[in-house]
Amino acid sequence: MVDGSAGQALKLEQDLRKGVLVLAVLSQLRTQQYGYSLRQALAERGMPIEEGTLYPLLRRLESQGLLASQWQVDDGPPRRYYTLSAHGAETYRELTGAWRSLTSVVDRLVVEEG
Amino acid sequence: MDDPKAIIETYVRDVVRHLPRRQRHDVGFELRSLLNEDLDGRAADSGRPADAAMALELLTAFGRPQEVADRYRPAGFTVIRPADAPRFAWIALGGLVLQWAVTLIDAFTSPVATDEWVYAASWWGRLTTWWLSWGLGAFWWPGFLITFTLISAALGRHRRETKPWAPRRTIDRDHVNRPAIVLGLAFGAAGATLMIALPWLAVWAPGLPQPVLDAFTFDPRFLRERAIWALPLWAAGFAVNTIVLIAGRWERRTRLAGLALGVGWLVVLVWWLVTGRIFVDEAADEAATFGLLLVLVFVIVDIVVTARRTSASIRPPMVRA
Repeated sequence: MVDGSAGQALKLEQDLRKGVLVLAVLSQLRTQQYGYSLRQALAERGMPIEEGTLYPLLRRLESQGLLASQWQVDDGPPRRYYTLSAHGAETYRELTGAWRSLTSVVDRLVVEEG
Repeated sequence: MDDPKAIIETYVRDVVRHLPRRQRHDVGFELRSLLNEDLDGRAADSGRPADAAMALELLTAFGRPQEVADRYRPAGFTVIRPADAPRFAWIALGGLVLQWAVTLIDAFTSPVATDEWVYAASWWGRLTTWWLSWGLGAFWWPGFLITFTLISAALGRHRRETKPWAPRRTIDRDHVNRPAIVLGLAFGAAGATLMIALPWLAVWAPGLPQPVLDAFTFDPRFLRERAIWALPLWAAGFAVNTIVLIAGRWERRTRLAGLALGVGWLVVLVWWLVTGRIFVDEAADEAATFGLLLVLVFVIVDIVVTARRTSASIRPPMVRA
């Protein structure tokens, strides 16, 4: 039962993180990154994302017009670098506003309950 | 296969196999590059060279190839919505089982043609013949349902997205049509009077030709033992409908009374049909049996509809004091 409730809490936490995944990714793509470097950057800032989730997400965001990408060769094999498109930058600003409003509301709710 | 790079290569090929053709090379190249980099990162973190176990650990965490391919694709559209899934399963499987039940009985009871194969009359011969004809053939039904569900899902997709919900029509199943009830009561009374008077046809219509009088001669045992039970049911039916007519609406109590009456008619009609003759004349008896079978079907439909409407209203939950 304890395992069950711990598993449930973990699942709910994952759902919570899923909701902010796009915002977290967009925040790091104001400068161009490729998949692996983006994952490292997010993990270093306390937001580890599984590879299997992150890499397909980049493609989906690109197909939605939020990201632009190009193949580039620096000091290694060719890599696909992603960055915010104009539409993505606009969306990122809107999402940031929504996030601030949401966190302040939820903070108030949590403090009231606490 | 111990080379970790070869394991990753195989994995990437399995993923891109499930992707649209135009995406395969681009995604495959990027995915291979990222996975190799991930593997090198893991090897650097653990302080040992990458091996097959490490590659498999990475790929297991990444997910099954088909699931990963799903993540690369944009969200599709729902063919069967979760709310419709149980009903769909019941209709699909119910239709299949019904066809099997009917055709299996027929396969084991009907005579076998003389020019059939030598074991056609044995039980397994009949079963084989049935399976290769109706048994497998019955799968047309789930296929038919899936095809039409797909078409309606594809057609309804855009309509649902653009149109907000609006009630198609206001449903008040408890409301009654008073003129229709008055008409029903009048016809019911006339019919019941006619049926009650029928045994005395020769008395009140002596001018009718003898064959007609003979045709409507009831079996004496039917009149004495079975017909009499129709009278309380008719009387109760008139009472319930009169109450509904006055109230102007069906209520739970009147629906339950109607349901009890329906079950009563069902029992009486089955009893009439299975326990002997109704009319003395053979032809008249057959016609009456056929007519009563139709009435029986109507009564069953009425019971089902009444039962559904009785339980369809949304009841308040049990609240603990």
